[in-house]
Amino acid sequence: MPAPSSSAPGAADGTRRRRRAPRAWLGALPLLVFAALCFGLPVGALLYGAVTRDDPATGATALTGEHLQRSLQGPYLTSLAGSVELSALTAVIATLLGTLIAQAVVTSRGGALRNAVLTASGVLANFGGIPLAFAFVATLGISGVVTRLGHLDSAGWNLYSFTGLAVIYLYFLVPLMVLVSVPALDGLRPQWREAAQNAGATSWQFWRHVGLPVLAPSLLGGFVLLFGSAFAAHATAAALVGGSVPLVTLKIADALSGNVLVGQENVALALSLDMIVIAGLVMAVYLPLQRRSTRWLH
Amino acid sequence: MAALTPTAAPAPGGTPRRARDPKAVRVRARRRPRVWRGAVLALAGLYFLVPLLSSFVFTVHTPGQGVSFAAYTGILSAEGFTRSLLLSLGLAAATILLALLLAVPALVGVRLGAPRLRPLVEIVCMLPLVVPPIALVTGVTTVLRWGPDHLSRTPLYQTFLAVQNESFPVVLVLAYTVLALPFVYRSLDAGLRAVDVPTLVEAARNCGASRLYVILRVILPNLRSSLAGASFLTLALVLGEYTIASLLGFRPFAVWIVSVSGAQARMSVAVSLLSLLITWALLLLLSRAGTRAASATPAPPAPSGTSASLTSPASGKE
Amino acid sequence: MSLTSTATEDRPEEGTTSTTGALVEFRGLRRAFGPTVALDGLDLTARPGELLALLGPSGCGKTTALRVLAGFEQPDSGEVLVDGEDITRVPANRRDAGMVFQSYSLFPHLNARDNVAFGLRVRKVSAAERRARAAELLDLVGLPEHGDRYPHQMSGGQQQRVALARALALRPRVLLLDEPLSALDAKVRLTLREEIRRLQLSLGITTIFVTHDQEEALSMADRVAVLNAGRLEQCAPPAELYERPATAFVAEFVGTMNRLAGRLTDGGQVEVAGVTLPVDGELPASREVEVLIRPENITATADPAGTATVVSASFFGSVTRVLLDLPGGGSVKSDVPSRDAGELVPGVRATVEPARRPVLVVPAPGSGA
Repeated sequence: MPAPSSSAPGAADGTRRRRRAPRAWLGALPLLVFAALCFGLPVGALLYGAVTRDDPATGATALTGEHLQRSLQGPYLTSLAGSVELSALTAVIATLLGTLIAQAVVTSRGGALRNAVLTASGVLANFGGIPLAFAFVATLGISGVVTRLGHLDSAGWNLYSFTGLAVIYLYFLVPLMVLVSVPALDGLRPQWREAAQNAGATSWQFWRHVGLPVLAPSLLGGFVLLFGSAFAAHATAAALVGGSVPLVTLKIADALSGNVLVGQENVALALSLDMIVIAGLVMAVYLPLQRRSTRWLH
Repeated sequence: MAALTPTAAPAPGGTPRRARDPKAVRVRARRRPRVWRGAVLALAGLYFLVPLLSSFVFTVHTPGQGVSFAAYTGILSAEGFTRSLLLSLGLAAATILLALLLAVPALVGVRLGAPRLRPLVEIVCMLPLVVPPIALVTGVTTVLRWGPDHLSRTPLYQTFLAVQNESFPVVLVLAYTVLALPFVYRSLDAGLRAVDVPTLVEAARNCGASRLYVILRVILPNLRSSLAGASFLTLALVLGEYTIASLLGFRPFAVWIVSVSGAQARMSVAVSLLSLLITWALLLLLSRAGTRAASATPAPPAPSGTSASLTSPASGKE
Repeated sequence: MSLTSTATEDRPEEGTTSTTGALVEFRGLRRAFGPTVALDGLDLTARPGELLALLGPSGCGKTTALRVLAGFEQPDSGEVLVDGEDITRVPANRRDAGMVFQSYSLFPHLNARDNVAFGLRVRKVSAAERRARAAELLDLVGLPEHGDRYPHQMSGGQQQRVALARALALRPRVLLLDEPLSALDAKVRLTLREEIRRLQLSLGITTIFVTHDQEEALSMADRVAVLNAGRLEQCAPPAELYERPATAFVAEFVGTMNRLAGRLTDGGQVEVAGVTLPVDGELPASREVEVLIRPENITATADPAGTATVVSASFFGSVTRVLLDLPGGGSVKSDVPSRDAGELVPGVRATVEPARRPVLVVPAPGSGA
């Protein structure tokens, strides 16, 4: 079984035992066993299912790339592209807006405003999924309050669309970005601005040569994080658009709940694997950025 | 002029002394960012408040019929509400307990005596971030399907059935614990970073305390606010989780809201709004507790500290 | 008065130097932050080419004064003049003053060379010229090999050297140092202190140095300005500040000071610890006074018939500081040459005698003056 953490107890045995806490590694054992069973096992099953095929006639199992290949074709590819497009668009917008709001908060002198915005962001960043979908149905849905007051339907507004989803996603992505960028902006030392001024830089030159380059890793890291968050989102879209916007999470759910042809589970597994690969890439970009910004800003 | 100084205190730019030209220029230059800031915050406030206000209006006002609070009063008696909410709360409690029981000994142990294990523990805890809930659930379904296929004649089969018990699906607790691990890890790790565990332990041992006593009475109290943060995040995650529960065919709170939305749209919005308010209240409570802890020990300011611990990628809301 | 004339010989290269030292004047500076008054009518002049230290306890306004000069703070009233020209309203980025901050002021995303060349880049100086100038400055601060290092790859002392090079890059007329050594450890602080002084002398640049460390101020500066509560207490060369403090605050802030109860005589002298001494400066109105005497101006000798008792003795190398209890209550510190201090161990009786020289007196606390 390709459980990634199954080697853990062995590794722990090899750890040099320190005089002071001889069996401290035992504390980590339950966690590692749990992770192997409840995370390693399903992920292993997913990988296995994504690359093998059971022959119904003989019962034999063979390695195959056909599921992965199918998951990158036709409607599946469209759904992957749709998810990437939606996530990228919302992440870009949320990165910009979140940073602007964070800068407004950081430069304001009132501690109360700062606390209020941070607490609100903490709540809203965790406010997603089903409740968020319904709040927007009540606001911008077909009989939503704002839709009726603004006669938006006659203007062609449709919440159950790509644009509608983007507007909703921003509702939790922007606060998430505020939470990410406030510490980064706080880390921008006043000495840097003053040193830049002292060296003759105008405010614009400071941002161009110092502020933005120093913030870049944090902001890029934030963007990547938002992308991953939007990419993995499923509940909001499921409650709202059903199948009208092609998203990979919706496609996987459809395949799993048997809404489509039987025998599609393996494609669902392959699509899941695609998602894991994309999310893994996202993390691979995020972590080094995160490390760099930590070094610069703390 | 000297007499003017004390009265001129909080509002620079407001006093007549500023009448001279160059100063006026400076005052104007300072105002510009304030206008900009106000505009940004006002627009953001609008975007974030309008859905909440409209949701409320939507639930109490029906065009042509006037105002009614039936959507709220009817919640308690609604079919399935109590059961699904209790199920979600039970799942949340079990998840928090399991996640903390797994993570606290692991993190403390690693800091105390097995630093070489630390990267492994970190990777294991952060890996779930790379696996979106929908992907995890496909894996879980695959594993669960093995039960009837391969294990029907072994005692393990009973275990498979037990974890899928409709009245309390343990499988959800396990899956949610996996999803919660990254947040729990980050929150605890940040807390442990702030206290020098080995020194604390040595100091307490030096005072004659046993190792268990040290962990229970010295380390855990110092981790109070990060334990609270981890619990809050886990609670929010479990209460809002829809993807895994619905695809595995269980019916906790979020799934219930969707199931009533067709017949009772108003009530589903009302419940959504309430769940947001409850989350908000919990967070305020938490940051209050954090403030108290912070005033006792020189720690970073609590509200931002708490919120920072909530800064988590791909939070498990889906 | 000015050191500029001697400055030109050992310049590493003609281009490195500033033009000449500038005259800096603070006139009636006042600045309040809410209820806190940071500057309360500060008047002070830095002469061309001199190193002027601003010394005082934290919150005395010394940093505010420096920041006003750099343009980071606006005074509520008063003005700053450089070479007679009022620069109070000139924005910070057009002032001709290079500043070194307390710490962490290097741009983290730029290596040492680009940090030094930052101001040149802002001025759109060509890349080749920037590189040459940065190399020259890094050489000047003793880091010729560190151009490619990033701030996080350098020690605190190296970072401050780079910051110094950066401050000098635009050939400013004034160099401002805001406690540049306070975050460094003791040994680095000593060497860097000497190097800053050497560099300042060779460039002949007017330098204002803020510090709360009196030893630093006394050892480096041409003149030291002691600030207290936003006002100038005294501005004088180090030796004069130490020997002839103008006020009780300066006397006690600079060096160690004993306060002994004394009594004015009719002849305008003061009677203290059994001797009568001339008074330096103004006489207070009341007769009951406190006399300020430095430990090195008090001799203590072991004497079985003496009235003072040794409480402790701390070895400082060439001298030993002995703390003695006096018969009437109170205690006194005396610096005794270490070779004479052997008998002064705790518990031993001793006689204490002030040196025969003029002393500063202040009204006694309860005297109602």
